[in-house]
Amino acid sequence: MTANPVAATAAHGAAGLVGRLLYGANVDRAAKARARIGLAVVVFALIYGVIAARLVLYGMAADPATARRSTANDAVATARPDILDRNGEILATDVRTPSLFAEPRKIIDVDEAVELLTATLPDLDARELRERLSSRRGFIWLKREITPRQQADIHRLGIPGIGFLNENKRVYPNGAVVSHVIGHVNIDNQGTAGIEKWLDGRGLADLHLAGFAADRLQKPVELSLDLRVQHALRDELLAARERYKVKVAAAGLVTDVRTGEVVAMVSVPDYDPNDPRQALDETRLNRLTTGVFELGSTFKALTVAMALDSGKATLSSTFDAREPLRYGKFEINDYHAQRRILTLPDVFTYSSNIGIARMALGQGIEAHKAFLRKMGQLERLRTELPESAEPLVPKHWAELNTVTIAFGHGIAVAPLQAVMAVGALMNGGKLFPPTFLKRSEAEAAARAKTVIKPETSARMRYLMRLNAEKGSARRVDVPGYYVGGKTGTAEKVVNGHYSKTKLLTTFMAVLPADQPRYLVTIILDEPQPTPETKGFATSGWNAAPTAGRVVERIAPLLGLAPRFDLPAAERQILAVTSAIR
Amino acid sequence: MRLVHLFVIGVLLAAAAYVYEIKFEATLQAERLAKLRSDIRRERDAIATLRAEWAKLSNPGRIQGLAQRHLALQPLEVIQFDTLDNLPARVPQANLPDVEDPIAAIIGRDPDLPTGSVTPAAGAAR
Repeated sequence: MTANPVAATAAHGAAGLVGRLLYGANVDRAAKARARIGLAVVVFALIYGVIAARLVLYGMAADPATARRSTANDAVATARPDILDRNGEILATDVRTPSLFAEPRKIIDVDEAVELLTATLPDLDARELRERLSSRRGFIWLKREITPRQQADIHRLGIPGIGFLNENKRVYPNGAVVSHVIGHVNIDNQGTAGIEKWLDGRGLADLHLAGFAADRLQKPVELSLDLRVQHALRDELLAARERYKVKVAAAGLVTDVRTGEVVAMVSVPDYDPNDPRQALDETRLNRLTTGVFELGSTFKALTVAMALDSGKATLSSTFDAREPLRYGKFEINDYHAQRRILTLPDVFTYSSNIGIARMALGQGIEAHKAFLRKMGQLERLRTELPESAEPLVPKHWAELNTVTIAFGHGIAVAPLQAVMAVGALMNGGKLFPPTFLKRSEAEAAARAKTVIKPETSARMRYLMRLNAEKGSARRVDVPGYYVGGKTGTAEKVVNGHYSKTKLLTTFMAVLPADQPRYLVTIILDEPQPTPETKGFATSGWNAAPTAGRVVERIAPLLGLAPRFDLPAAERQILAVTSAIR
Repeated sequence: MRLVHLFVIGVLLAAAAYVYEIKFEATLQAERLAKLRSDIRRERDAIATLRAEWAKLSNPGRIQGLAQRHLALQPLEVIQFDTLDNLPARVPQANLPDVEDPIAAIIGRDPDLPTGSVTPAAGAAR
């Protein structure tokens, strides 16, 4: 025996002890048996411990198998969030429809299958169907989006190798009314235009790829559109197309000048998003964002605002409009020639090209360019809609360019772009990037850029109202809503020359002019003179009355109360701002 | 020792039975869950379909068409709006006599009483 048995045991370690107990010949048999049983107990306890712990782990984790069980025949095409208008009306939603597929390898009798299927679905081509079913492919679509009735019929036929998958189908209950804004999707429920495409670009496509967007639990998207206003606008534009024999297109826009939200946007001819093939037709494109136009006199508002904002001109400044303005071989003339010296309000209300050209020349080319850049007219305007167009701006900006651009020729911008700028002239000088999504005033204020002084804006509102009281916009003056407006008639360029007969008439109406809320824009592309318009085809005779009708219809919808017996613009708008003339 | 063995075997059997019971219950619950989930899904799909249907039936274009075809209603005129502030003050309640035509009775008896209408005679006298 060693002097220190404890140390010896420790030195041999626990293994040594167990070994000695189990195998040592000098160990008591009973003690050996106890030790062996003890070891067995420990080992089993360990095993059961592991099993118990694993059970607890299983219990904590969700069971993925049962959750997925019911979705086996579901969700090939991916779900998309609903699109709602600003009042919660549905503009686009998903409806689940069955689609028919086949697994050709599992089909036993192709002839029988073809016969039975064509009997139930007469629009299937028998020869093509036979060819496809005879192939050795694993999976083919036979017909997407069949009716529940057809599904039941085919199910009853009991053809092996034929099955159904439920797919999400995008439905646009309002048809063509909101087509250009929301766009449409393809057969696989991927957005190909408009807000639908924007949704995909925002990560929805990635969700789809990862297979997470199969269920309809996504937050709906709220647009800034008002379906009722949208419908009223479209209805009036369709009527205007008939009434003024508009050859090409009619478009309209209603925007909230305090937030930059687009409340309604219509461009007819439009298309039914439920039938996206129509969208391929070029005449149906959205003229308000994808087209650029020389907007004519509506652009004068920008020139006047520039002159007033610079301080170089005031409301009592005068401009010589006695003689046409000559520029080399060009001669700038007035449509409503006055042949006298005009004050600034006269220039605006008579829409004098000569006066406005002189006003722009007084500012200089660089200032003009800088102002238009500040107003966002020289760069491509990007909104949520993927479709946009680059404005056409002269490469070499000479004095003549400033002269023509002053009255809206020689620069072509997307109408939405011009509307954004005019909105800023009306609302106190804040330029809001237009949006198709619902936006609060606080959110809008965060994105706003102050472009002109509030006093300039008040003077511009005065001029717009004055124009409706005694200028070219008289036919828009719906009593009760204190509308102000500016007409614009641009000659279209045909083969490099301005055409006298092909006109683009525009009208921008602001209501109410003293506390602006909405800007209504009407664009008619090639209206024709009619007996009703006394043989004229200029904006004041077609676009302005159309805007008047639209205002009359939408103002109650937008919650604007009519006010009567308001004083003339001079007292109502100018007198309340501190700076008068 | 034997007692302990019997006890352990008993516990083992009880545990097995209990585990089986739980397992059975869990399967049942899982099936119910799956069924409820698919029911919810079906209901949700049905709701979506109905909502789409409703949106289609109530879209302004359709309502306008129906109204033009079946109703004699006209669009509102601007002058047809007014605010409550512009309502005239309420006329003090007149003591109406309890006869068949109280207004006629008042006009006949007392032409000076303040009413909205005047008799030709009273109008001429004024």
